Amino acid sequence: MKQRGLSGKVLMGNEAMAWGIVEGGATVAASYPGTPASEIMETVFRIKREHNLNIYTEWSVNEKVAFEVALTNSYLGRRAAVMMKQMGLNVALDSLMSSAYTGVKGGFVLIAADDPGPYSSQTEQDSRYLATFAKIPVFDPSCPQEAKEMVKRAFELSEEYEIPVMVRPTSWVCHSRQGVGLNKIGERDEIPSFKKDPQRWAATPRFRYRLHRELNKKIREISSRNHPDPVSNPGGAELAVVASGVPYAYAYDVIKATGLEERVALYKVDLPYPLGPEVDELIQIYPQTLILEETYPVIELQIGCRENARGRIDLTIPSEGELTPDIVAHVFDTLLGEGVSETRTPPEEGRKPSLCPGCPHRAAFWALRKALPQGIYPSDIGCYTLGLNLRAVDTCLCMGASVNQAAGLYHSFKQGGRSIPPIVATIGDSTFFHAGIPGLINAVHQGACFVLLILDNGTVAMTGGQPTPAENSPGKRIEIEEVVKGCGVDFIRTVDPYDIPLLIQLLKEANRYARDEEKGVAVIIARHPCLIYGARDEDRREGEIVVGEECDLCGLCTERFECPALRTGPQEGPMIIKTLCTNCGFCVFVCPQEAIKRT
Amino acid sequence: MDLKIVIAGLGGEGIIFMTRVLVEGLYRCGQPVISTETHGMAMRGGSVISQIKVGDYRSPLIRYREADLLVVTAVEEAQRTLPYLKEGGIIFKNTPQRGAHCIDASGIALRIGNPRGGNLVLLGYVLAHLAPAISLEPFLEVTEELTPERFLTGNLKALQEGWQKASQANKGEDKGEGDQAARDN
Repeated sequence: MKQRGLSGKVLMGNEAMAWGIVEGGATVAASYPGTPASEIMETVFRIKREHNLNIYTEWSVNEKVAFEVALTNSYLGRRAAVMMKQMGLNVALDSLMSSAYTGVKGGFVLIAADDPGPYSSQTEQDSRYLATFAKIPVFDPSCPQEAKEMVKRAFELSEEYEIPVMVRPTSWVCHSRQGVGLNKIGERDEIPSFKKDPQRWAATPRFRYRLHRELNKKIREISSRNHPDPVSNPGGAELAVVASGVPYAYAYDVIKATGLEERVALYKVDLPYPLGPEVDELIQIYPQTLILEETYPVIELQIGCRENARGRIDLTIPSEGELTPDIVAHVFDTLLGEGVSETRTPPEEGRKPSLCPGCPHRAAFWALRKALPQGIYPSDIGCYTLGLNLRAVDTCLCMGASVNQAAGLYHSFKQGGRSIPPIVATIGDSTFFHAGIPGLINAVHQGACFVLLILDNGTVAMTGGQPTPAENSPGKRIEIEEVVKGCGVDFIRTVDPYDIPLLIQLLKEANRYARDEEKGVAVIIARHPCLIYGARDEDRREGEIVVGEECDLCGLCTERFECPALRTGPQEGPMIIKTLCTNCGFCVFVCPQEAIKRT
Repeated sequence: MDLKIVIAGLGGEGIIFMTRVLVEGLYRCGQPVISTETHGMAMRGGSVISQIKVGDYRSPLIRYREADLLVVTAVEEAQRTLPYLKEGGIIFKNTPQRGAHCIDASGIALRIGNPRGGNLVLLGYVLAHLAPAISLEPFLEVTEELTPERFLTGNLKALQEGWQKASQANKGEDKGEGDQAARDN
């Protein structure tokens, strides 16, 4: 057995991109966590620690903040990177659009990770669209090794044309692992220097027109240099495939597995925008050309004559859902006139996710349903969206929307002259810092009346336990209570949701204040650390949870309360899964027969 | 080696850890390997799968009916994920029930005092079926690098127990018909 040399290491795509950032010589990196992008920044932190690297890093409060902090380093002539998930780019879009006009100095790389499927997002939007919208070049990697190289190429391209450059990986790049070659960390020593140039950095609308003209010129030049890579080009191919990103990898594997090497030509596009003129020429050569890309038709829309082009626009490729090797194989069969060889049945839907055993959110949601069963519950983005399963989440739009939707509910019911139901918004601590604060100021100022339950578990749990401005960060601690007070809220209570009866009592009190007396927004902060990322030994409760004979099989604990540590056993009735049970004892409180006990 | 492996189970069972040990170990055995794993929302107790391809592949995704091995950490996921398995492929299950390629990995893990080590027992068991193309050492080495100090002994033991269990089966001490099929394969 032979050992590989140290030049290579198995890396997740996100780790590989982090290496691209440090090898590329970034001196500032900023991010807000979000699947599938979170591990890029985590890895930058790790490399910084392990290699004693001189680089400024931060988990910013949201993506817009991260973007602007990183961008400014580039204004100073130094390289910078900002990383986010695709929906985070919506938050940073204002900054992106304008920065394309001002341009940059040091190489500036934006990594926006897309989630076709989607697996862990509200949309399966294609960030490459936003690159075309902003008129910045975008790289589309197909595997971890390539993702790392493209980050470095992006720094070069950005610096050469003084333009922000996007790298757009998708989930199966971010969360793939493969052997990746490592190079030297590129520590750079440019001295930060701000050259005042108001017509550029502070351009008024009059000068913006000129900046736009310069931007267009840059994009035209980059386009003229953008050539597709002819990966395989057999003479007399019946079909050409032009592919970018992971769909290129699917095409490569399917062509090989089905022995189509002589019949199909394969071209790879690294930079789907701005597309060069060659793809248009290709399409004239072959009887038909299939465009494979994820998730929207970005290459396809840039093609002049689409008569022989197959793809998403003519519905050869489905318009929604992620592309898979099965779809690619199926489309090859159809286009090559092979008939459909076989339909392969996908697995049925699996078990849906649920809150962890002992999760403080489960206690909070249970209390909410008990205290105000007639309520409407706008909610937000995070683990606690799973409160859906407990029927305590009625809306989930995007980061921070819960607060504004609660205000919207109040104003609509009030304006419509109807009796106002209890309105209780739930939002996590990190989401509150990210986008909840402006909404709370607005709600208080505009006189909305509702209850805001801040579910504070001290971390960004869904994405792997990143710090918040209030917890687990070496920076100055920002107290949620102080922020809420600063937003003008007069009713503020803090409670440990493990104390379910007290939380029920406070929710009723808050509802009286907000709904019955219409005094304004009442805020309850339900604070208990996440059991995965912040478990404390002192929280471990004594005794063991058992199910007694009084159980009448009502199913409340396994179905409605749905604790994963309670399952229907081989005999009738629930059983406790000892390896999962955290001893929290919520179920003791929940069981109407008092059959579940702590010994 | 040319091999497609699907690992199926439930979030929170440590499937990512198991995938990492498998992939890094295979890489150290000199095998070209690419894999995927599930992150984010789906990890919270929901169904998760990892896919591992060994050989000249560009993409990590495995088509339905193309996996050579299906490794199931939570037996209730076995039926559902069966569409991944190719005809003649092998399914390894963590279950107390007897049968071809069944191993009570959770039971063994509990017995050796590492209640959360079931996945590594199962992994050791699967790896033994890939011998002699691979040996256990690189996988022990990776486990050692990835495990926090206090779980180290338990995790190494779990991997070894699974490997030995399969080796015993192959020697005929615990004959299941499926193990015969594994050798033939």
